[in-house]
Amino acid sequence: MHPFDIKTVLFAKHAQHVVLIHFPIALFIIGVFFDFLAQWKKQPLLAAVAYYDLLVAAISTIPVVVTGIFAWQWELEGQRLKGVLLMLLAMGCLSSVLIWVVLLIHRKTQRKPEDVLPEYRLPIEAVAAAFVVVTGHLGGFLSGVNGPG
Amino acid sequence: MKRSVFVLVALTLLAIGLVASVEGRGGFALSSQDKASMTEVKIDNFSFGPAALTVGVGSSVTWINRDDIPHTVVSTDDAKTFKSKVLDTDEKFSFTFTKAGTFPYFCSIHPKMTGKVIVQ
Repeated sequence: MHPFDIKTVLFAKHAQHVVLIHFPIALFIIGVFFDFLAQWKKQPLLAAVAYYDLLVAAISTIPVVVTGIFAWQWELEGQRLKGVLLMLLAMGCLSSVLIWVVLLIHRKTQRKPEDVLPEYRLPIEAVAAAFVVVTGHLGGFLSGVNGPG
Repeated sequence: MKRSVFVLVALTLLAIGLVASVEGRGGFALSSQDKASMTEVKIDNFSFGPAALTVGVGSSVTWINRDDIPHTVVSTDDAKTFKSKVLDTDEKFSFTFTKAGTFPYFCSIHPKMTGKVIVQ
């Protein structure tokens, strides 16, 4: 089966999750990178790029979480998770919350142009990026991309 | 004369030993090993082994997960004949086939992992 095959997308149920998950991971990490760069270079344009990256990253977590829960409910019939699957669920939820927290910090400033982005966001972003990376690694391990297969 | 008798006896014993050894490995021992592995499917390295298994009606097949990550065993026939829970490392799932036919199955976590049981 191929994840970009229409039949697979429609019928394999959790194939969508495997495809969609790459969007928040990539957008969030690059958004954090641009935000750190904006802070360092004092470039409002880079800060704007970071904001829109983080915005789309946060929005893309919604279908990812929904398809992940569908995969759990449909493919595994909602059975009690343990091990790597449980860790992936917990880390995925936590990462999604952190992505939204980072976005809300940025959004608050975006609405009031006179405000300056608080510096405490940077450690939060770093921690969130670490969580996202670990979650992505767990997903890769589970799907066989990062594992022995 | 004595020496050639000794050599002959030694060669005979060696030949008997060799035959017994080969028969032990390839003959009797292999058939019992085959019998045991006939009804066991090992899940390892993102694949079912053997991918196609032929058993008789009334046979039980056991899938054992030797991989580091969880897998499932789910039949893809219309009747959804069998479906395991998530199998962690070293966990097993067994199913007894009471009807003849071909039963394809897959891992619902990794749809590319497929196999089939042919019941005759």
